[in-house]
Amino acid sequence: MTKASFRDELVHVSALQEYVYCPRRYYYQRYQDQIGTTYELVDGRSKHAAQSRRGGWTTERYFRSDSLGLHGKIDLIESDRGTLTPIERKRAESGDYYPSDEVQIAAYCMLLEDAIDEAVNVGYIYLYSTDERHAIHITGKHRSAVQTIIDRIRSMSINSIPSFTNNTNKCNGCSAREYCMPAETAQLEPERARGTGWEDHP
Amino acid sequence: MKATEGMFDESVVYVTKQGTQVRTDEGRIVVWDVDAADDEDPELATYPKEKLDTINVFGGVNFTTPFVAEANEHGIVLNYFTQNGKYRGSFVPEKNTIAEIRRAQYALDYTEELAIAKEMIAAKIRNQRTLLSRKGVHGTDVLKDLGKRARNVSNKDDLRGAEGEAAERYFDRLDETLVSGWTFEKRTKRPPEDHINSLLSLTYTFMKNESMSALRQYNLDPFLGVLHADRHGRPSLALDLEEEFRPIFCDAFVTRLINRGVFTHDDFSKDNHLSDDAFKTYLSKFDGFMQETLTHPHFEYEVSRRKAVRQQAILLRKAITGELTEYHALSFDR
Ligand code: SF4
Repeated sequence: MTKASFRDELVHVSALQEYVYCPRRYYYQRYQDQIGTTYELVDGRSKHAAQSRRGGWTTERYFRSDSLGLHGKIDLIESDRGTLTPIERKRAESGDYYPSDEVQIAAYCMLLEDAIDEAVNVGYIYLYSTDERHAIHITGKHRSAVQTIIDRIRSMSINSIPSFTNNTNKCNGCSAREYCMPAETAQLEPERARGTGWEDHP
Repeated sequence: MKATEGMFDESVVYVTKQGTQVRTDEGRIVVWDVDAADDEDPELATYPKEKLDTINVFGGVNFTTPFVAEANEHGIVLNYFTQNGKYRGSFVPEKNTIAEIRRAQYALDYTEELAIAKEMIAAKIRNQRTLLSRKGVHGTDVLKDLGKRARNVSNKDDLRGAEGEAAERYFDRLDETLVSGWTFEKRTKRPPEDHINSLLSLTYTFMKNESMSALRQYNLDPFLGVLHADRHGRPSLALDLEEEFRPIFCDAFVTRLINRGVFTHDDFSKDNHLSDDAFKTYLSKFDGFMQETLTHPHFEYEVSRRKAVRQQAILLRKAITGELTEYHALSFDR
């Protein structure tokens, strides 16, 4: 097996977050390269570049774990008296972080502990908008959520497109919406929207 | 229902000024007048590169090498035309070949192609009737019957037959809607035998280009058709997709140009082409027409015509990949 194809089988941490936001959007991104880059992402990226030079911290380390089936880059790792803590920085206009951010930081903790062979039970989410960092205590729930999502992502196939999200608010902020057309589909082929948040929205 | 935020409307740019150069400047795309006098601003227009997906250039317009690299990176298609609008070729960025979409398109069988083509032609005939009725022409039952026939054919030849017959009947009646001094007579193809046919041909070419941009934007191969036969260099799928827009967008646009007196017979050269100035007028009218909004007949929100065309490319792609059960053509009932 070549290295490249082996790596294809690992799930990238960013995919977890995409998947949690909406499996359908993740499908478009993965199989159809169909997703707009939101301005938020672009902006977040340039802030990373500006801040990653601060001293004392380890920045942008790549980890992979075959046993977890996961890989990804940890934005920042703080080391305090031998305890390593991953930090993820978010733009978060709303001043709050999302459950998907928690999933992401949990995944980083799991990657890190797999690499150093020690428990990592805390990660931080730093929000630019409030200049606050939030400690996330990684619970068994977090861990099994990460594992479940990895399994779901690995068992996805091009031939079965996930249904629309049942949280129509997500669609309003979704960069793939123009392509996804949830409301339009509910109207043209109502059976395709059955059981989703769009069912009653034609 | 609310329309989704559109990026489509400014996504196509036409560059017609001779001697201009398209370049990049701090991440933006700039149209630069190389021959600008000292007291003139050489920057003719500037666009954020994230927004554009198609640049159409006419005649002597240059691209800088960094711009072409940028176009490739950002998936911007460049279409080349002669100064009076004859298509010469395209630069197509690498990302336009998502294998899975292409595979689904190439795997369509005859029955699936026929099903899609039937929807397109039935919508075209429906739109022919609608345009006539908007213009006060009644007694179009024969078109109604032909529309039914199109839905019931069992092969592509019969579908083409129904389409051809409908076109003939329709143009006969459309003739009645023109101001005096103009006539469709018989719809003739190249070379255009009269002025109105010249305008129609030009408009079909431009609409074909809109369809092509839309298909490319969604990674469909514009050269592999469902009804038009694939011939070397012919964008058959773009021609297929264009069918439903022809009456309601193209023909409506041409009759508007004529009836509002935008062009007179003097605007045409001996070989029935628009003069240079008239062509520029035509281009800006066409672009304006594509940006004009209307109430979408199915979704009931406001969309520009350009966006409506692009949505059809999306719906076509969804029909091809099986995300939707059938192709939902754009048809106007009134
Ligand atoms: S529009 Fe809604 S259903 Fe579609 S991908 Fe986006 S969030 Fe998911």
